Amino acid sequence: MAEIVTAEELAREQEPRLITRHTFGVRVVHWWTTLTFLYLILSGFALGYPRMAWLLDVMGGGQSVRFVHPWVGVGFTVGLVFMFAMWLPSMRFHSVDRHWFRNLGEYVRTGHTDTDTDKFNGGQKAYYWFSVINGLVLLITGIPLWLPDLLPREWNLAARFSHHVFFLMAAGFLVVHVYLSTARFPGTFRSMTSGTVSRAWAAFHHPRWFRRVDAGREHEGAD
Amino acid sequence: MTTTDLGLTIRRQSATPASGTNIRRDHSTPALEISKLVDIDLCIGCKACEVACKEWNDLQVEETHLFSGYQSHPDLTPHTWDLMRFNEVELAGGALAWLIRKDSCLHCEEPGCLLACPAPGAVIQYENGIVDFNQDACIGCQYCVSGCPFDIPRFDTVTKKVYKCTLCIDRVSTGLEPACVKACPTGAIRFGTKEDMLAYGLEKVEKLKARGFSEAMLYDPVGVGGLHMMYVVPRGEILEQYGLPVDPTVTAPTSFPSLIGALRKVGATASWAGLLAAAVYFLKTGKRYPPPEEEAVAAAYEKAPHG
Repeated sequence: MAEIVTAEELAREQEPRLITRHTFGVRVVHWWTTLTFLYLILSGFALGYPRMAWLLDVMGGGQSVRFVHPWVGVGFTVGLVFMFAMWLPSMRFHSVDRHWFRNLGEYVRTGHTDTDTDKFNGGQKAYYWFSVINGLVLLITGIPLWLPDLLPREWNLAARFSHHVFFLMAAGFLVVHVYLSTARFPGTFRSMTSGTVSRAWAAFHHPRWFRRVDAGREHEGAD
Repeated sequence: MTTTDLGLTIRRQSATPASGTNIRRDHSTPALEISKLVDIDLCIGCKACEVACKEWNDLQVEETHLFSGYQSHPDLTPHTWDLMRFNEVELAGGALAWLIRKDSCLHCEEPGCLLACPAPGAVIQYENGIVDFNQDACIGCQYCVSGCPFDIPRFDTVTKKVYKCTLCIDRVSTGLEPACVKACPTGAIRFGTKEDMLAYGLEKVEKLKARGFSEAMLYDPVGVGGLHMMYVVPRGEILEQYGLPVDPTVTAPTSFPSLIGALRKVGATASWAGLLAAAVYFLKTGKRYPPPEEEAVAAAYEKAPHG
């Protein structure tokens, strides 16, 4: 006699089996830096570009933005420190990353390489190190803009110029980061919301990490 | 008199592209430009201009302390927009030169403060050359302080706004001379059209040269497009001892306003190009789904190093 299966049970059966990629704490840190950085970028555009100055009004007025921006910068830096620490073990470059970078062209064209990628691929590791260093430079060059009495005028002007350059780089790479993790690769964004990915996604994009998790050698989602 | 005569139409405002408002018939002819001129040779250091500035602008008197010879306060403040600076200098040969300079906003033709300001309408330049701060629009970032080559704007920690000399725009707008000019007992501070002040200044420089001040000069540096408060400087060879930069620049291609302007163009172009490129890339390559689970898992295990 055939087993009776309800529609609900059938749907659950067909749902891809999931594994945890980012734990709750990791996701909190990630979204903390996301929100603070988004504020910093928008207010940065508002302060740096006369044609974007209308954003100052939208964001509570120029005086508020001038007051809040540095403090949000401090908040972002705190998030960045946690981010640096929590991902450092996974972000060290290994020999497989060289293979990934050699096949960067293929990755751009097809969205895939046959690299035996670990939890993060070469590009993700590069973005991590870029973000850490860039965040540090933005902090250092931001201090003279926050407290202009500390340094001579010429240093303040140089700091403002550098702050702008590194801000543009950060904004640029952020577009790439968001694009790749949302539109380009379906199934990726959920790793930062529910924290899970499908087994197919993990095996396809991060085979080396998948095998470890699959064999139970790594606690799911541990960093 | 009309506002056109007094040049009180707005020429440009900070952080506001295409901010000039002049549509009058005589737009093609240069607006009447005004200027102050400080003839340092005639200045006796009486500080009447300091007092008049305080009185007219209703600025509070600040306590001071004994710190040097004749100078009343150590520095400009949000409440002190005009300060007589006294500097005793030993010349080559041992003679003493007592340099006295009225220090206040020079109202640059190319104002570093205006070019640095990110707040729309916080710094306004009028057709007549006056550069004025509008504290209502000021956001307190103090970029103008860094942008000014003459170290003029002062930040008030209570109101979180910057302040400086307005060239008595409220007096000028009714046809009066600035308060400091009115108070000066020796005629060392003069006021008129830029043309007249240039003529007076150049003539005075020649007189000074005839009197033996071979390096006498009219201080109206091109690096800031010229000034609307010029100085006749008797000892041009020691300009920096007066507290005046020899070559202040905001107009050179390597100066900060030019660099940040170029960077803005690059940034705006790159931002739009980047977003456009992402859209085109998406249309070209679309989404990349993983293969079915069995296939993906099998491929993952194939990659495992053997042995």
